[in-house]
Amino acid sequence: MTKGKKIKKIEDSILFSLAREETGAFEKLVDQYGNLIWSIARRYLSNQTEAEDAVQEVFIAIWKSAGRFDPTKASEVTFVSMIARRRLIDHLRKIYRHKNLEPIDDCFDDDALETKSILDKSADVQIISEAINQFAEEDKQLLSLSIYQGYSHSEISKLMNIPLGTVKTKIRRNLIQLRETFDQDQNTVVSIHNA
Amino acid sequence: MRSLDKELLLDLLVVQSTQPMSDDENIELQRLLKEYPEYNNYEFDEIASLAHMSYHLNDKRIHDKLPSDIKSKILNSQKKIDSLSFYKIKINDLMRSLFYKPAYAWAITVLLTIGLSFSMIEFKNYENNFKYLPLKRGVLQLTSNDLIEYPWYSKESDFALAKGDIVWSNKSQKGFIKISGMPINDPLQKQYQIWIIDPIKYKQPVDGGVFNIKIVGKDIIIPINPKLPISNAKGFAITIEQPGGVVVSSQNLILTAPEVRPESTFTL
Repeated sequence: MTKGKKIKKIEDSILFSLAREETGAFEKLVDQYGNLIWSIARRYLSNQTEAEDAVQEVFIAIWKSAGRFDPTKASEVTFVSMIARRRLIDHLRKIYRHKNLEPIDDCFDDDALETKSILDKSADVQIISEAINQFAEEDKQLLSLSIYQGYSHSEISKLMNIPLGTVKTKIRRNLIQLRETFDQDQNTVVSIHNA
Repeated sequence: MRSLDKELLLDLLVVQSTQPMSDDENIELQRLLKEYPEYNNYEFDEIASLAHMSYHLNDKRIHDKLPSDIKSKILNSQKKIDSLSFYKIKINDLMRSLFYKPAYAWAITVLLTIGLSFSMIEFKNYENNFKYLPLKRGVLQLTSNDLIEYPWYSKESDFALAKGDIVWSNKSQKGFIKISGMPINDPLQKQYQIWIIDPIKYKQPVDGGVFNIKIVGKDIIIPINPKLPISNAKGFAITIEQPGGVVVSSQNLILTAPEVRPESTFTL
């Protein structure tokens, strides 16, 4: 459960500006992460109206939590995405219904590429991407349905025709494995910095 | 036995980080976390978030732009909240400066004491007295050192617009529901019934009284009126029942206000 230290300049962070109540910091936050959070909310929740409400809640929550951001514990994008996920799960709990995904169009444009670029630059996301790529296809699919698409374990069990217990065990095992890989990598970074 | 508990704890922590939890799961998770203090409530949040971003990065279909009207809504809602906070700070400053002058301080204290005494007299009969409920709720919030405050979550889509919270004090055996967005009921056909979950003392939820919704679009406040002494309330629920309510409900829960994870907590 120990975590490696992330060494980043807090002064460069939008969250730091937000915590210091700098003028325009909130707008910068929305500019920087608006497309990303909108996209994940659209994918995670079942329709546009719900995504609209959730995205507003996410940004207000990030604004209120900015003072708790600690770059030695998590990167800015990780902090933002943790709050976003927690809010999306809360939102799903409030609406308590699931899950008629509207068709999603392919809609890459320049702004979309900017969104990708935030994640591309995140070393943490890259580490996890590589680790997920090592998983068996079924494991990848299970994690995607659970974590990315917001299906419950019992829904996944029905969708994939796998016993519920197996779904739970596999998701748990895969998350633990991802965390071990991540922690190992972070500790290596710390060792290099301390050498 | 202990390893089974640990397995269950890990399962529940995964559920916590991946999907909405049921009230029972929440209660079980909190129990197990007390047994295993080396784990925390959000054990898998970081890794689940990173995995989420990883899948998102590799999804070619959905990287769309935040619509400008939604962006404006977000910016406006932040401005509104920000300006409210500004006025709160100003009022606090004013109060602080008043209390630097002893004469003002004494005058305000005496007035508050008189006002509070009257409100406490009313408060003793609060079950039958629906006057001044916001004030009574405020008094309970200010005077209880064991106050709990949970938001409502809807369990059925017909009640998805319902919002609000409950405040409750085990010591005072008093509490209030604040709620809006509930459909109007016909009291001759059905009534809303409040339930208090006190699992240590009672197997069944305890009847907390019935109420009616006569108007929509406004916050209403309802006193909770427990029929049995409550030792340690872990959650609250609302069902729809026959007029007058029932002793044990067989109806679906329409709203719940559980102990776990109040809206404001983020442990990062």
